[in-house]
Amino acid sequence: MEMRGFSYYVQGIPAEQITVIVPRICGVCSTAHQVASVKALEDVFGVTPPPLATEIREVLLLGQLIQNQATSLFIFTMPDRVNASSLFEMGDDQESKARQFSLAQMSLKIRKIGTDLISLAGGQFIHPIKTVIGGVTSSIPREKADAMIKTIEELLPVAVDLVDNYWQMSLEMVDRIGTWGDDEPTYYLASTEADNFRLNSNQLRVMCNEGRQCHTFAPQEYENYINIEASDYSYAGISDFQGHIMRANSLARINLTNSFGTPKADAYLKRFDEAYGKPAHAILFFDLCRGIELVYALEKAKQMLETDLQNGEAMVRYQPRDGIGFGLVEAPRGPLIHRYEVENGLIKNADFIIPTVHNMLAIRRALMVAAKRYVSPEGISNELARAVGRVVRAFDPCIACATK
Amino acid sequence: METPKDLPKFAVLQLSGCSGCEVSLLNSDEWISNFQLVYMPLVVSTHKIPEDIEVLLVSGGVRTDEDLHNLRKGASRSKKLIAVGTCALSGGVAQIREGHISRESYLDSSHRLRLPSMLPRAYPIDKFVHVDLYLPGCPPTPELFITALKEAENAKIASIVCQECGRKKLTDMRPTSISGPRSGTPDPEICLINQGYLCVGTSTRGGCGALCTRPGHACVGCRGPANPYLNKDPEFVLDNLRRVFTRMTDIPIEEINAALASPWLSLFLGQFTDYTQDQSLPQRTKEKMI
Repeated sequence: MEMRGFSYYVQGIPAEQITVIVPRICGVCSTAHQVASVKALEDVFGVTPPPLATEIREVLLLGQLIQNQATSLFIFTMPDRVNASSLFEMGDDQESKARQFSLAQMSLKIRKIGTDLISLAGGQFIHPIKTVIGGVTSSIPREKADAMIKTIEELLPVAVDLVDNYWQMSLEMVDRIGTWGDDEPTYYLASTEADNFRLNSNQLRVMCNEGRQCHTFAPQEYENYINIEASDYSYAGISDFQGHIMRANSLARINLTNSFGTPKADAYLKRFDEAYGKPAHAILFFDLCRGIELVYALEKAKQMLETDLQNGEAMVRYQPRDGIGFGLVEAPRGPLIHRYEVENGLIKNADFIIPTVHNMLAIRRALMVAAKRYVSPEGISNELARAVGRVVRAFDPCIACATK
Repeated sequence: METPKDLPKFAVLQLSGCSGCEVSLLNSDEWISNFQLVYMPLVVSTHKIPEDIEVLLVSGGVRTDEDLHNLRKGASRSKKLIAVGTCALSGGVAQIREGHISRESYLDSSHRLRLPSMLPRAYPIDKFVHVDLYLPGCPPTPELFITALKEAENAKIASIVCQECGRKKLTDMRPTSISGPRSGTPDPEICLINQGYLCVGTSTRGGCGALCTRPGHACVGCRGPANPYLNKDPEFVLDNLRRVFTRMTDIPIEEINAALASPWLSLFLGQFTDYTQDQSLPQRTKEKMI
């Protein structure tokens, strides 16, 4: 547990250089940070990137969603479902070793599609470089898009199989432990649209306790709605929505989505909504929702690569100027906002509103629910440590960056 | 056939960093059949660093008292220790600026009674423990991870980034000012220095496959100094870069100097040169570098 402290280090840095520096806030979400950073400067400078660049940035963010959700599902949380300590833990007998080996390899293969998409649309597999102020430095050549489409077509059935297996394992785990975890209603926060699931987003939406979408606001207005404070028990910032507990990340997006517009993901969405209702509240649903989003992102990336991402204007010229700007993207863990104040071409102040701050109160409450279940006057159940692990992994937090 | 329990134990310890090195390692699956992964926060559910580790990878800089404690414990339990990523080799991105004001206000806000304490700065790990192998990069590519794990002794690493870049260096194309984000799209075939970009690939260790320069982004030096510049005074490295730019361009020396001092270069160049100023640190020999 540390404090990244980037809001301090970047003070005084020439504004145009910040987009190379801030992806290093987090190697897991470097893509989201890079795009948010570029968008914040475009807001300051008054630049609108051409449509082709907007599309390529979306492909980039889809790549990151695939990489992240595959990691969370198969590497972080699948071991919980089978009571193993890791995906790479193998049994002694040949049969279980072979099965485990193939599961690990398949999982890493799906994950690699995300990595390859990031390289294709971002120019680098971590800390990408192609998104620049005014657009992207190069478009996606047809033959490279076609090769990627072929890989996705080959591996989409594998991903669907893994997600189906994961869903089944989750049902079995819930039978064993007897709960889906904390299922009290909360507010939900996402920046994707109800019928247009764009990660390169422009507005935040909030669903209130009773399940109604009750607020829509631009990133410029976030301080009117969201309050963020520091605490003395964690370096993480802690936010609330006008005094209410809220949640961001996969479950928030699914609760705020009517339709994905891709066939397989929409079928999963229907299955999820019919089984658990809308909004669904239990925390282990976060994991199922990641599976739905993984399938969506693969389908959507393929759809987008089938369009022409090669021809057209990729970048526009700009003139820098001083001012205040905001950059919003939907990162895997929720809405990410960068806010920069530029004076004489230098960064005077920078704020990074990291999605996990919006989940801190919800994580705390879910841990209390787990504690109440497994700690009694008679003693502490052995299940407690595992339950705490499941809670934390359900929220997939980015605590090291979410500092205040 | 050997059982997985016979495979050498392999562990990953993350200190203060961004997790990018871990993400990069997970981009390769070649190590699965060679090692038994026994410890890696998030990926393996165990809080204890096991005994008898064959290889321990350490990423991140030493920034809190907790980092220092974990580093010493991990090092004592492993036969071989590999420092991975630029932060483990230099302390990390937290050294980005000399700005005392920003550092002071940062330390003020980071001092909290019930949390691990911040050290006055972030240190490279060889300040505290013996390191057998260094793998710089932000992050190192998955291929470099595999080289470090499986064939470090026979590794053939490109000496500088230019070796793998493939762009043509021209003698008759001499820019007169530094190019930047507003200079449009660079020519795909010609050396970025010929086009005025502040590329430090000429003195940066190769092995990355010239991942940035090939698509047209100037090298920022994330793999650190190439062998001739290891352990050298910061001025030695900067002098070499100045020589390259005066030989290949007609950019005024004042402009070159100002550009070499810019923050996006200090992100890496500064980190590595900063390192040589601490006399208590061991020398890094080229045999130990991947």
